[in-house]
Amino acid sequence: MHAISPQLALIQDELQIAALTFMATVYGLKIRWILRFRAGRDRQAPTGDADAARGARYSLAAIAMPWAMPSARRHPLLYFQFVVFHLAVAASIAMSFLIPYAPQAIAHPMIVRGLQALFAAGLAVGLLRLTRRLRDPYVRAISTPDDYFSLALLLVWLALSILAAPNRPDLGEGPLLAYFLLTAFLLVYVPFSKISHYIYYPFARWYLGRTLGHRGVYPLKRSRPAQA
Amino acid sequence: MEQVRSWKAQRIVERLSQKLTRQILLSLEACVHCGLCTDQCHYVLANPGDVTYAPAYKADKIRKFFKAHWDWTGRAFPWWVGARSLYSDEELEDLKDTVFGKCTNCRRCSLACPMGVDMATFNRMARGLLSWVGVMPEGVAVVAKDQWEIGNQMGVLKEDYLETLKWMEEELQEEYHDPTIRIPIDQPDCNVVYAINPREVKYDPRTIAEAAAIFHFAGESWTMPSEGWDMTNFGLFNGDDELAAAAAARVYDAVERLRGKKLVMSECGHGYRSTRCEGPNWLGREVPFEMESSVVTMLRYIREGRIKVDPSRNPEPVTYHDSCNNARSCGMFEEPRELLRLVCLDFREMYPNRAENYCCTGGGGAMSMSEYAPRRLRSARIKAEQLRATGAKIVATSCHNCVDGLYDLIRHYKLDMQVKLLVSLVANALVVPVRVPVPAARRPLEGRTILVIDDEPDVRLYLSKIFAEQGCEVMDAPDANQAMRAIKARKPDLITLDLVLPRKTGEKLYWELRRDPEYQDLPVVVVSGYASIESPRIDFHGFLREKGLPEPEGFIEKPVDVERLLETVRCALQNSRRGQA
Repeated sequence: MHAISPQLALIQDELQIAALTFMATVYGLKIRWILRFRAGRDRQAPTGDADAARGARYSLAAIAMPWAMPSARRHPLLYFQFVVFHLAVAASIAMSFLIPYAPQAIAHPMIVRGLQALFAAGLAVGLLRLTRRLRDPYVRAISTPDDYFSLALLLVWLALSILAAPNRPDLGEGPLLAYFLLTAFLLVYVPFSKISHYIYYPFARWYLGRTLGHRGVYPLKRSRPAQA
Repeated sequence: MEQVRSWKAQRIVERLSQKLTRQILLSLEACVHCGLCTDQCHYVLANPGDVTYAPAYKADKIRKFFKAHWDWTGRAFPWWVGARSLYSDEELEDLKDTVFGKCTNCRRCSLACPMGVDMATFNRMARGLLSWVGVMPEGVAVVAKDQWEIGNQMGVLKEDYLETLKWMEEELQEEYHDPTIRIPIDQPDCNVVYAINPREVKYDPRTIAEAAAIFHFAGESWTMPSEGWDMTNFGLFNGDDELAAAAAARVYDAVERLRGKKLVMSECGHGYRSTRCEGPNWLGREVPFEMESSVVTMLRYIREGRIKVDPSRNPEPVTYHDSCNNARSCGMFEEPRELLRLVCLDFREMYPNRAENYCCTGGGGAMSMSEYAPRRLRSARIKAEQLRATGAKIVATSCHNCVDGLYDLIRHYKLDMQVKLLVSLVANALVVPVRVPVPAARRPLEGRTILVIDDEPDVRLYLSKIFAEQGCEVMDAPDANQAMRAIKARKPDLITLDLVLPRKTGEKLYWELRRDPEYQDLPVVVVSGYASIESPRIDFHGFLREKGLPEPEGFIEKPVDVERLLETVRCALQNSRRGQA
């Protein structure tokens, strides 16, 4: 492993921990805030052999079942982009932990190249998403400064992830410094931005799934084409 | 300088905090503006390029307001997340145009949202906020007022309702040449309490008669309530939870007052959803009886062989339109299809269908909002194309609202098609049992005298008719005292006894007979619906043990199975000393 400067050590370790602690605290407060609101419940008898818990599980898993979601079936390319983009982001998050604490895990050149390819794919998809947001009148009409900024932020972050993946401070610490500084900023910014949607996701889908499961709507009865 | 807020806007801001549930909060927070919901909405598909119809755009009108007051970032940096509160009455009017005029709450976009954002639910909440300060389409206000004041959403007076039922009863008796067909009102202890849509009384009473015929030929013990008969609920449409709860409670109270075992609802999507799926939640209490759609009831009758149907009587190609409320909000997908396959020769699916079907365009109370009719009909193009592609001549649906919405668009787009409710198709396919008179020589109860004791005139008439057809002489009595007088005047060969009688109970009369040496061997067949809500089947032997009563010659539970009744009576007569003599 390569020696690193005290600044990089501080930024990739203590600063990240501080930023993570901040994010976790805000999320903790946010979850407490969500739970302060009363949850509606289904008092009526379930429909047939419907099962609220099964509905909730199905709802949570729906994101991984593109065939089950009408919007994903209708737009398979967008679904594919969604998968690539989120895999790239998840990989970069993982990398922000691995570089300081287990660098050997991603030291192999093949892994580095694989990560870079994934980040590049995520970056490309992100650019497509940004283009869609700017060009599609429907999406543009609902976009806020936060939508653009969050996406732009992740694009820059994925670009920096490509540069940081080799983890070669000996060739210059710039990419790593930039990557970790931006990671820290992201951790602080995310809870206040649309990127925090992943905190709402399990709650929103669980409650919707519970209700629709109780009513026998979930698992969804898929539309079948007319018989010839 | 702080912007001045109108009185109505201020009330809405204050009211928002009371309407936010965890589910609504999450739906308002979770949207990522991905736009995947856009092309799920028939308004968007029919109005390409107009972004104001996009579900997320419509939802954002509510979301902006929410974010300005509740979202952390929205409160600190509103411009950053597009938050904006409501200030003027003009903004409220604009919001009204969106939540009432550009969305039918069909929930199609909700099911397509990857984040699980339930737009229909918070659109209803927004309607409720606006209705609270009187900002709603005129038609919605009128209908809601009728439902509050008169007890049904079409302002049908009780006299008109009862008169219509009587009229339909007479029509039925004439049509089937059967004076025993009844539309019973307020009969207690029935298996089924039947609640309907007031549209049936006002515009389509034939569907009441069709349902009555089906109940009659199925041998069902059923009744309609004189109060609390409207199972529709405009509170679902205008978002007024108080009205919604009151309307649902009226129906539940009617069932409980009549001690009905099951509430069966005629075909109305929003009524079914409101009464079956939402009512207990609006009221905050559970309902101690079963509730089902008449579609499920009719299907069960056919499956159990209680009615016979002939699909060749519906030979035209039929397609099925899933009502949004029945399907996407209550999970009723397969039952109507199974029923249609049984009563029609040529059933064909439209596409998409089930949870992915398009709205009829008349949902969410749209039929009462005449100001939006041109917009509604323009957006109905998607549905019209979907219908046309089936090549069907009949579109069946299980919702009166859909009937109106579909009828309008069929006329507008000149489709060669009719709309029908399932009850009409089932009634049309109904094979009415032919009453073959039993030859006199073979009538097994010839020469016998049976006394029917029951406080319900319908039941007395029904049982008397059954026994008379078997050749015996029938007397009847509505209570225990008259029964005793009749027995003393002319000793019958057998009595059928209802345990639930006014004043002196059937149980006491039974004791008297068993203790009296003159009548202790008089065969008694108990015919009763004496069951509790907790255990709808009667454990009759347990009941006798508990009361210390001697065993009667037979016991028949209501609703009466005719074959079983006759078999029991024949056995009782044969085994009695009198019979052996």
